[in-house]
Amino acid sequence: MTRQKVKMAYIENESSRKATYKKRKNGILKKANELATLCGVPVGVIIDSAYDLSPEVWPSREEMDKVVSQWQRLPVMDRTKKMLNQQSYLQQRISKETETCKKLTKENKELEMKEVMFDCLSGKTSPSRIEISDLRGCGNVIEQYLKNLKRRIEILSKNDGASSSSVHAAATTSAAMPIVEMGSSSTAFSDMIRQQQIQSNMNQTVRGLDLNQQQW
Amino acid sequence: MMRKNKGRQKIKMAKMKNESNLQVTFSKRKSGLFKKASELCTLCGTEIVVIVFSPGRKVFSFGHPNVDVVIDRFLNINPRHPHQNINLQLNEARQNYVVQDLNDHLAQVTEQLEVEKKRNEDLKQKRKDDKRSKNWWEDPVEGFNLRQLTEFKSGLKILKKKVTTEASKYLQATGHNFYFGSSSNAGFGTFDDDEGNNNSDLDLFNHRRLVGMKTFSCNHQNMIIPHPSTTPYGNAVIERFAPEHNQNKNQYCLKQERCECDHQPDPPPHFRHHYY
Repeated sequence: MTRQKVKMAYIENESSRKATYKKRKNGILKKANELATLCGVPVGVIIDSAYDLSPEVWPSREEMDKVVSQWQRLPVMDRTKKMLNQQSYLQQRISKETETCKKLTKENKELEMKEVMFDCLSGKTSPSRIEISDLRGCGNVIEQYLKNLKRRIEILSKNDGASSSSVHAAATTSAAMPIVEMGSSSTAFSDMIRQQQIQSNMNQTVRGLDLNQQQW
Repeated sequence: MMRKNKGRQKIKMAKMKNESNLQVTFSKRKSGLFKKASELCTLCGTEIVVIVFSPGRKVFSFGHPNVDVVIDRFLNINPRHPHQNINLQLNEARQNYVVQDLNDHLAQVTEQLEVEKKRNEDLKQKRKDDKRSKNWWEDPVEGFNLRQLTEFKSGLKILKKKVTTEASKYLQATGHNFYFGSSSNAGFGTFDDDEGNNNSDLDLFNHRRLVGMKTFSCNHQNMIIPHPSTTPYGNAVIERFAPEHNQNKNQYCLKQERCECDHQPDPPPHFRHHYY
């Protein structure tokens, strides 16, 4: 069974349409059955087409009668609250998917900007080469990061009051950051930090988290 | 390799035991059933009604052309295909056009969504694969000690200044309306540093923006109007860079009056990501 993408439009070809109708009708009834069985709920389906002499009713006329009676016993408001037709259904789906798409686009942009930020820090690129359209996004990501860093520093400083003096020491040594030089040695920043890391006390516990699994 | 879910597994055709799983299944399968019903109507033009009661005894229904009409016919209130008057037929035809439009729109959005999903996967995979250039600051912030945090912070602040400078350079060079406002954040140029001071030179953007609105009536000069095929974000980007594309149609061009401006936009910016 080849999986081909079907265009969601009325099938002009008569025989194609008929064949599709048969297959899909059976598919729907099967799915309806599974739903009813797995969840133990009343389900009723009526399919009326030009290809059948009488409408297809599932599970059976009697069962459908029961479903309809149950349906009619409900107040009109309850019935219509979740009632859909093609229009309302499609509109609903469009808005849901548009929403998801927007969120994803935003997330993707942020991920991309993060890469740009990292590339700048490691000297692979520099702010002058950032696309103009990306400058704002990049700025935002940097800002977010800074906020987070600030928060973390606060937390750690609270817990670790004694090392507050080392904060100042670190700050002054970092004053002349290599990334200020445009296009200078790309690894200058990283080397400097690595050096300092090696020199600093390795006893200081880096929170034992599995860093690879942490998502920023 | 971490999987998001267990994958396709054979399930027993009997009422599910786990209450919450049942709820989830109901929700998903109901959604799938409605989707299939909608597709059937679209593809084959049949009439259909699906009524489903939830475990909580709430009712959900889908019907084409609408639930009531089909139910009524089932109950023999309306016989099959009565003498339809012209109004009904016209109505139906109009509805079909509307539905077709919606279907097309949905197909478009779905495709876009797929593109973004793939991109998301690719970006995340790239991050994972980029082991060779893994610098310590690329790891999650939660793992940093105090010294690392401060180092990183200082480095970032410098970067921030440079990015800001770049952006302002651009503004000065072209002097056009570079709209920064958007729903997602308050404004690039107005965040403060640690001491809580509003960094005044970063207010450059807002200042420029306000000034630009009054001073530059001609927004076509040096306006970068992205070529539609290079904008991954569709209209959103166009609105950001060429707002008069959608609004301000009565803006008149100062330069045009003096026959200087020929309204040619600069060549579109080269977008880094090659998703189109």
